[in-house]
Amino acid sequence: MTFTVQQFQALLPLVITCATSVLVMLSIAWRRHHAFNTLVCMLGLNAALVSVYFAAQVGPQAVTPLFIVDGYSLFFTGLILAAGLASVTLINTYIDSFKYNREEMYLLMTIATAGGIVMASAHHFASLFIGLELLSVSLFGLVGYSFHRPRALEAAIKYLVLSATASAVLLFGIALIYSQFGSLAFSEIGPQLHEDARPIVLIGLAMLLIGLAFKLSLAPFHLWTPDVYEGAPAPVGAFLATAAKVAVFAVTVRFLLLEAIGALQIPAIFHTLAAIAIASILVGNLLALRQNNIKRILGYSSIAHFGYLLVLLLTGGPVFGVEGFAAYLTIYVVTSLSSFGVVTLMSKCGQDRDADQLHDLRGLFWRRPYLATLMTVSLLSLGGIPLTAGFIGKFYVIVAAMTFQSSWGWAMLAAIVAGSAVGIYFYLRVMVNLYLAKPGMHKFEAQLGWGQHTSGLMVLCASALVVYIGVYPETLMQLVQIAKAAGVQ
Amino acid sequence: MGTALAFYLASAIAVIASARVITSANPVHALLYLVVSLLAVAMIFFSLGAPFAAALEMIVYAGAIMVLFVFVVMMLNLGSAVIEQEKQWLSPRAWAGPAILSLMLLVELFRSIGMESDHMVNTATIGPKAVGVSLFGPYVLAVELASMLLLSAMVAAWHLGRPNDHKE
Repeated sequence: MTFTVQQFQALLPLVITCATSVLVMLSIAWRRHHAFNTLVCMLGLNAALVSVYFAAQVGPQAVTPLFIVDGYSLFFTGLILAAGLASVTLINTYIDSFKYNREEMYLLMTIATAGGIVMASAHHFASLFIGLELLSVSLFGLVGYSFHRPRALEAAIKYLVLSATASAVLLFGIALIYSQFGSLAFSEIGPQLHEDARPIVLIGLAMLLIGLAFKLSLAPFHLWTPDVYEGAPAPVGAFLATAAKVAVFAVTVRFLLLEAIGALQIPAIFHTLAAIAIASILVGNLLALRQNNIKRILGYSSIAHFGYLLVLLLTGGPVFGVEGFAAYLTIYVVTSLSSFGVVTLMSKCGQDRDADQLHDLRGLFWRRPYLATLMTVSLLSLGGIPLTAGFIGKFYVIVAAMTFQSSWGWAMLAAIVAGSAVGIYFYLRVMVNLYLAKPGMHKFEAQLGWGQHTSGLMVLCASALVVYIGVYPETLMQLVQIAKAAGVQ
Repeated sequence: MGTALAFYLASAIAVIASARVITSANPVHALLYLVVSLLAVAMIFFSLGAPFAAALEMIVYAGAIMVLFVFVVMMLNLGSAVIEQEKQWLSPRAWAGPAILSLMLLVELFRSIGMESDHMVNTATIGPKAVGVSLFGPYVLAVELASMLLLSAMVAAWHLGRPNDHKE
């Protein structure tokens, strides 16, 4: 197999990310110097992020049958790299107090990011699967990274077993589809799916979607989410909620909206997905009501948000859908990074748990007013209040569901409205705690100069973006045209 | 017709052996059945016209990986009752089932060696060269990424497998 210079240039983000992980490994082997290894990792990921621009210069490129690098994949590559970079930034101060090896976390994080990039440009079931496994296996190590905590290993085992089961189901589905069409490439399967929906193809498609729905933690495959979010270290939670889900959703949408649009016109598939969307919205919002752990609340909130995204996928169509969900995912990533970021800034890896209980946040405003403000902004955005970015995202979803004009569209709209109403309650419940009067004792405290650390700055930037997008969404809308261009083709 | 029979017989053995893997309470019994199940899968590959994949399945899975499993399980059972347990494992009840299934596979293998190749799905036999060409042709990036996957799995296992001396 020979590569042209253009193909190599198109693949630069992936190549640089993989090279970074090798460099980080070598620099760990050379010397366990925390700051130096962080520097290597950050420089590498930044270089990969910059190279997205150069990859965009060569236009759509199919690199081997496995990958396609177009505007769509580059948009999500950029988003995944930004989320990975933000998570690495959060790790830096968080993990300083960890007693054991700290540096492997950067290595695993880079490999997981590379897995995400593979999925964003996957054009073939083989690359889909290998990207998914790169992501899941590294995440398994990351979730259980702080193994001195009682919850961490439990979360890691749960994630390993359930995610392996989901991968097995996904593989079985791929095998069934392959047995009928004799190809693994999206572009060859896509056109045949609609014309030739034999029962065995439907079963294969359903198993494929079950596997993907598990990774996206859509109801009823969501059971692992709160436990894993709770057990994982806070920066890993940030990565799990942002980069990992963006990658899986990007490949799902590429398959369903851009390549195999016929699959959504099969009534059985459409109805099942619509039911999953409604269930995710309701389950995510209702189960979050009685939680006292912020990481669990954010976990349930992500279930609900991916329910909204699924509505967008089902009702938006290839053009509006791609634009809308690129915008929604960007907003969700920025908001999640800022809310997980605040939890991370309050916690230290050396302690036996994170500052994730609601009473840990009580009275935060009176101690760290700016930090409490950032948390407030991100919670408002998660709830979809106007003037924050979350409102723009929800606007896209509701417009798509309204214009769809079918009974399923109205049913999904009703679920969105009910879910949002319930959602406001538990987001406000967290917020009220931030402003309660100051109690005597605090186990957790952000450092006084948190704003001068890179991780503090990152959280500040994320929150600023949340407000900026909410007030002036024009910039984001221009940005998502990059992704949309691929959808129109 | 000959290979069709071989295929269905091997599949039946694979299903039975796999069912016994998850229903056996004794880990060593389960592992013996797992070996048989992998051998049966190798036979399925063979009957489909992929002798190279069959040989790899045999060497890598049934050979290397399963022997490691059996060793680990046996080493974990160190203790005073270990000799008693070893004797118990040598009783026919433990090995008769896997042995019969393996014997069936062996007979089947001998039968199909002498036969004309009339594979069910492929007209051609896929040998090592064809596998190599496709691995390092269109799938070369997947091979490279698989090495990253092994790296991350190794690092994760090594990190989580460290002894935890936090409580002392």
